[in-house]
Amino acid sequence: MKGYYGKLLEINLTTKEIKKVKIPERDIKLFIGGRGLGVKILWDKLPKPGIDPLSPENPLLFMPGSFSGLPIPSSSRTCVVTKSPRTSAISRKYKYGSTVSYSNVGGFLGPEIKFAGYDGICIVGKAKDPVYIKIEDDNVEILDASQYWGMKTDEFDKTLIRDLADRRFETCYIGPAGENKVPMACILHTAARAAGRGGIGAVMGSKNLKAIAVKGTMSIKLARHKEYLDLLSKVRKSFKNDNTGLLNWWRKDGTAGGLTGSSERGTQAVKNYSEGTFIEADKIGAEANRQKVWKRDIACFSCVLACKKSGIAKGAYKVMVHDGPEYETGTMLGANLLISDIVGLHKLIAVCDDYGIDIISVGNTIGFLMEAFEKGIINQDYLDGISLKWGDIEASLELIRKITYKEGIGKKACKGAKYLSEDIGRGSDKFAIHVKGHELAAWNVPVNSDYWTITYATSNRGACHLNGGKISMQNKSALIDSIACCSFAQEWYRGDLAYSKFLSAITGFDWTEEELLKAGERIFTLEKMFNYREGFRIEDDTLPAKFFENKFTVGKYKGAIVDKTEFKTQLASYYKQRNWDAKTSRPKDEVLKELDLDFVI
Amino acid sequence: MNDLVKYSRRHFLQNLLLGGGGMVVLGTLGFRIFKDEENKLIKAIRVDFDKCTGCRTCETVCSAYNNPVCIDGDWVDGLGNPYYSNIKVHHFNPDVDIPVTCALCDDAPCIEACPISPDLITGRKALYRDDENQTIKNDRDRCIGCMQCAKACSNLRGEVIYPNKETSKPIGMCTLCDGNIQCVKNCPFEALEYVEMSYNRDLSSLAPEKIAKKLISRIYNLKM
Repeated sequence: MKGYYGKLLEINLTTKEIKKVKIPERDIKLFIGGRGLGVKILWDKLPKPGIDPLSPENPLLFMPGSFSGLPIPSSSRTCVVTKSPRTSAISRKYKYGSTVSYSNVGGFLGPEIKFAGYDGICIVGKAKDPVYIKIEDDNVEILDASQYWGMKTDEFDKTLIRDLADRRFETCYIGPAGENKVPMACILHTAARAAGRGGIGAVMGSKNLKAIAVKGTMSIKLARHKEYLDLLSKVRKSFKNDNTGLLNWWRKDGTAGGLTGSSERGTQAVKNYSEGTFIEADKIGAEANRQKVWKRDIACFSCVLACKKSGIAKGAYKVMVHDGPEYETGTMLGANLLISDIVGLHKLIAVCDDYGIDIISVGNTIGFLMEAFEKGIINQDYLDGISLKWGDIEASLELIRKITYKEGIGKKACKGAKYLSEDIGRGSDKFAIHVKGHELAAWNVPVNSDYWTITYATSNRGACHLNGGKISMQNKSALIDSIACCSFAQEWYRGDLAYSKFLSAITGFDWTEEELLKAGERIFTLEKMFNYREGFRIEDDTLPAKFFENKFTVGKYKGAIVDKTEFKTQLASYYKQRNWDAKTSRPKDEVLKELDLDFVI
Repeated sequence: MNDLVKYSRRHFLQNLLLGGGGMVVLGTLGFRIFKDEENKLIKAIRVDFDKCTGCRTCETVCSAYNNPVCIDGDWVDGLGNPYYSNIKVHHFNPDVDIPVTCALCDDAPCIEACPISPDLITGRKALYRDDENQTIKNDRDRCIGCMQCAKACSNLRGEVIYPNKETSKPIGMCTLCDGNIQCVKNCPFEALEYVEMSYNRDLSSLAPEKIAKKLISRIYNLKM
């Protein structure tokens, strides 16, 4: 099939068997690539529910998308797909029942996997001792990584490239958190870009896999090469002659522009989601960072937005050169914990990345514990003597270290807000800000609640801010994650430059935008069926009680709260529109058939 | 004739040094021995390291243009796998990105290192400078694939030359894209320029590690 190799690199770390497996053409056509194709392969590899996500059976998939490896601007993403070690249903049908997990990362990894000649990498099994995988085109080796075990990500990033003696390798790896199978561990690339969410680093650690290094010299073949070149030159022009102001917005501040913007709009996670406005947001905002921290704008592969900002914060804390804050990291470790010391914030971000831990989940979890501590529901004894007050940088750093090494309170805290609230009890579940066990991200719910309630309640990996609050947006997100484009650049891909035009030139099939969105719906629905099979039901599509009981007390949106009845009505209408069963949440058979998902019935 | 004498003398010196077994020796001494006295201007690609974001668009457009494919009887741009690019962006941690391409060095250590005797009529070794646009070219028929040119470039300059996967003969030299210089034209951050420069340039034509070290120290005020 044109536009793809039709090849999956399958590595079994238990048997050390390395296979290049053909991907059925029908699967590629139905599930596109990236997240979609990853979820289909996951479904096929896990024929029954309830398998322990940290067991050797759980596959870990590294999936580039259909645009990966082509210099189409902002198509650098890689999607990591696996079964989640983070999520659980309210009434457990299986001990290890959990949702699908997918996590996206920018940078250079996905393109390089394509250059090596693969549409994806699938890791199963578990190595006896720590290993890493080295891929150079056809040549794939499983190599000893015991000398790297325990190494933090910044040092490891440099060490591995030095040892490989070739900077053309693109690498991704886990830090100590992943090695210790901390459920909220992430996978890092270029020491700062993270496939952060959904506990995928723990799955990598459970396989004793420290890293993957890949480089390649191959290219796919396109169905309509000239048509593609024409589209490419047009889209480059459209970026170059951008007059929307959007391009400069991304370049200037990246997502960090949201740190003050979202705060003003009352949509920021502040003080464990108690407030939507952080009165000290300007101290950690883009402007402050331009002045004090940022030195360089950094772009992903073939991207013109360059939203990553790198710099060095100097002051009370010794900090390495690092990126950020961006909106999520700055909010979760800043506003959400009432931390406004820019140097301290930078330190927290750098340390989390160095350990290889999901900043959204860890920031959310610390916020939960700070609230429990403030309310007197837990005391210092519960926290190994840490006095965990709002805004305390030292205490947060110590807690993050304990979480990474599963030391004392870290053994519990590493499992996140849901687990802690069950352990602590005493009504703390009301302010444990998660859905299905996965912590909410940096966007608060009450203001624009129509959008955010549906976004978080219905996301297939558990609470996810990128899910989209409308059905059309959810389908489109699933599609964008499958072609491997960056959602930040979607404004430029419309009309004559729509994704469907590119995909048609690449594959030779005449895709319409409607057909592509239908593919997005198919992918989203398959994920839903995966979760349904694992025991998730309608009651799991919910929100923490805090949003229905707590009113904002500061800012323009003082008094904002979510109306529970309205949320329930909206959710019911969501199921109706999706044509999912209102009692169980299962997509109806007619929907599944219409989407060519007969195999899940 | 003058040229021939010059080449032979340098060739002799270079062999002497290589024979002495020390590329490191060449690394420190070679520079001084071969450097031209006059500060000649050469038109080449200059990088503004402060503007580069490491997006590697330059690599993809260079590779696409210089590795065309034949589609329906027309030669058009290829798909641009950066491996085949003549400009390479070296990424370093801490974050700095160093695009490196053939600097068209006035003293061309690569040509100096080529062991093939100059042609009696053209005065060219296998590796030679194109008279028209000053680019470095390789005569594949005469080249023996010894890769001395690549060694000289990597020890003395930006390590841009490497062996072709199939022929094992040197590639990676900038072609200036027949005058329509793709990397310069397409850089989204205007970090590349085609300008006249003196040979004594601050950062160009150094090895990427050396440039990175200087930049990291300047930008982040850090010693590596």
